[in-house]
Amino acid sequence: MNTFTAPEIDYVAIAPILIVAIAALLSVLTETFLPRSVRRPVQMILTLISLIGALIVLVINRDIRTITGGGAVAIDGPALVLMGTILILALLSAFLVAERSLDSLGDSFAPSAAALPGSVDEREFSARGYFQTEIWTLFLFAVLGMLAFVVANDLLFMFVALEVMSLPLYLMVGMARRRRLLSQEAALKYFVLGAFSSAFFIFGAGLVYGFAGSISLPEINDALASTAGETLLIVIGMAMLLVGLLFKVGAVPFHQWTPDVYQGAPTPITAFMGATVKVAAFGAMMRLLYVAFSGIQWDWEIILWAVSILSMIIGSLIALTQSDVKRMLAYSAIAQSGFILVGVVAASPSGISAVMFYLIAYGLVTVGTLAVISMVRDSTGEATHLSKWAGLGKKSPVLGAVMAVFMLSLAGIPLTSGFVIKFSVFAAGIAEGDTWLVIAAVVASIIAAFFYVRVIVVMFFSAPNENTASVAVPSIFTTITVAATVTATLVLGIIPQPMIDLLTNAGIFIR
Amino acid sequence: MSIDGELVVFIICGGLSVIGALGMVLSRKAVHSALFIAMVMINLAILYIANSAPFLGMVQIIVYTGAVMMLFLFVLMVVGVDSSDSLIETIRGQRLFGILFGVALAILLIGGIGSSLGDKPDIGLKAANDEFGGNVEGIANLIFSDYLFAFQATAALLITAGLGAVILTHREAWKPKASQKELSVARFMVGAGHPGNKPNPGVYARHNAVNTPAILPDGSLALDSVPEPVRSRDDSLIVDHRAVSTVVELVESEDQN
Repeated sequence: MNTFTAPEIDYVAIAPILIVAIAALLSVLTETFLPRSVRRPVQMILTLISLIGALIVLVINRDIRTITGGGAVAIDGPALVLMGTILILALLSAFLVAERSLDSLGDSFAPSAAALPGSVDEREFSARGYFQTEIWTLFLFAVLGMLAFVVANDLLFMFVALEVMSLPLYLMVGMARRRRLLSQEAALKYFVLGAFSSAFFIFGAGLVYGFAGSISLPEINDALASTAGETLLIVIGMAMLLVGLLFKVGAVPFHQWTPDVYQGAPTPITAFMGATVKVAAFGAMMRLLYVAFSGIQWDWEIILWAVSILSMIIGSLIALTQSDVKRMLAYSAIAQSGFILVGVVAASPSGISAVMFYLIAYGLVTVGTLAVISMVRDSTGEATHLSKWAGLGKKSPVLGAVMAVFMLSLAGIPLTSGFVIKFSVFAAGIAEGDTWLVIAAVVASIIAAFFYVRVIVVMFFSAPNENTASVAVPSIFTTITVAATVTATLVLGIIPQPMIDLLTNAGIFIR
Repeated sequence: MSIDGELVVFIICGGLSVIGALGMVLSRKAVHSALFIAMVMINLAILYIANSAPFLGMVQIIVYTGAVMMLFLFVLMVVGVDSSDSLIETIRGQRLFGILFGVALAILLIGGIGSSLGDKPDIGLKAANDEFGGNVEGIANLIFSDYLFAFQATAALLITAGLGAVILTHREAWKPKASQKELSVARFMVGAGHPGNKPNPGVYARHNAVNTPAILPDGSLALDSVPEPVRSRDDSLIVDHRAVSTVVELVESEDQN
């Protein structure tokens, strides 16, 4: 009879995750024990310090490559890069969460999420300047889940991390200060569909266990290598795992939640989830496919081929018809998921680095774009209808120019990061022989360019009228985010080589 | 295949759980659905125990059947036992497509799993259970070794769930709650107005809508007879001018007499 042996845990390697976990727990204690007046600054400082601290530790840890915690956690090149990306994007979104000078009523969040929309209670809470400081706690837990998601090396930990990431997001989506019914509807849709997709993930994990006798990713790979012919069981299991992950990135046909959630969620949260969830889910997807399922590459390539083309084409075509900027960005996010999948299908070290570069640059642009959207306002809050953006570039040239840079980058115009990332993803696709997929991607990019450029045309080439929204003056927080993202977008577009070198060295998953 | 005890248990409990699952989807009343789920779970628990996983079976009964489903029933009792779902489709053809996709998925899963399990040997849990001297000991060993991180991360999940429930339901009091004594003192204070019941909306009016203010005996409007949230929307008050003039005429004719 065996006796218990404790697993070896490399605390240094997982220190960035532990820092965020401890900060999240401290944040719960802050809510419990500190008086209302000091909670907000304490939570803010706690969040910023923990994110920056985790980032510093991550940089110190940059040479660690190890599997620890009983095989549950793999710290390798992609994991470190993706964790860093998540932390940076979370930091930039945290500044947007902290912003409170754009809206005359306060920040972007409901003063009390429990008060019924339009009730006397709600007005009293708003007038008294209440603030739901729990938003910071949820934010930290979501970041914790994402960090765990990209390092998870077995299906069970991956599933728990997926839930730790998703649950706070469902809650935060429903906490908008304005248009609360829309926000709550979005949260409910996201929650119900998200729970459904998680069920697919865990069902798939069960089937994979039935085939491999293990849920550890390297052992699944060993089981595939030692079995003579592949069986239908593992293919169905793998496809069901993919359903769970493709839902999170909003790929067609699992995209239905995206527009409503992008539109309904408070804009800082749209920025946060639009950028970081993609990073986390694509990171987990690559680890799953490359580490566990490289033996049945042919099967998942066909699935992802189809999903990629559908996402690019359907996302771009529906985005053409949108008149709301946030909804347009949501469909654009669906199309961008398709572009990223081109790099995932390529399944080569250059494909991995290209996908990681795409996630970094696209995440920065997403946070920046939504920061700009949060500044364009009229008397009812954010003015997201495209007709209210008419002539905005003439009214406020700086904001117009910044938005134009982001739109050009999303469209993939040279001298912005969007061109470099699209180019490297497509190059990786062609190198692996996916020429037709890349041709479809190029066609989709041309369609997509139309609606990105339309925003610029509306801003600069039509005259401002009485409906044109005004631009609120942001505090230092939003200014930092916008300045950082626009600078990064231009720098990565003009001198991408250092970043490409960094990612080329980090493009190998360990088993 | 010989008929042994396990096969008999499987046929009975497996059949009952399929019937329960179908009943859960097809029954119109939520209470019936909930009881059908309880039936599915108990049958699954028996199957787990028959497969030498007693811990999982008991947890299934205690946690799911005992706690979760009974909590579910309590909620249904609060909402109303008689309430049944509307069967009107909000999206046209939704039910048809739902059934179609459901059957397709079932065929795929049954075919896929069935075809790949044909020549797999039965392994059973005996070796795994004996490794650490028992089923519970084996699970404990796994939880604290291979799946330590998953186990610990579940804590974050539970904290988030608890926090979320509080955020979505707990309304902080923005004013101290008045005691009964304070309430009755306030009611009889000078200037507090009428100490008795306030007039209902629509008194003396020909409408009884909640946004029609009552008319007082002198013909003036009792605005506080309309609930505050309705009153605060300025476009929502409906004043019954004909009823007002009738009352005013009555009052004037009384005065003349």
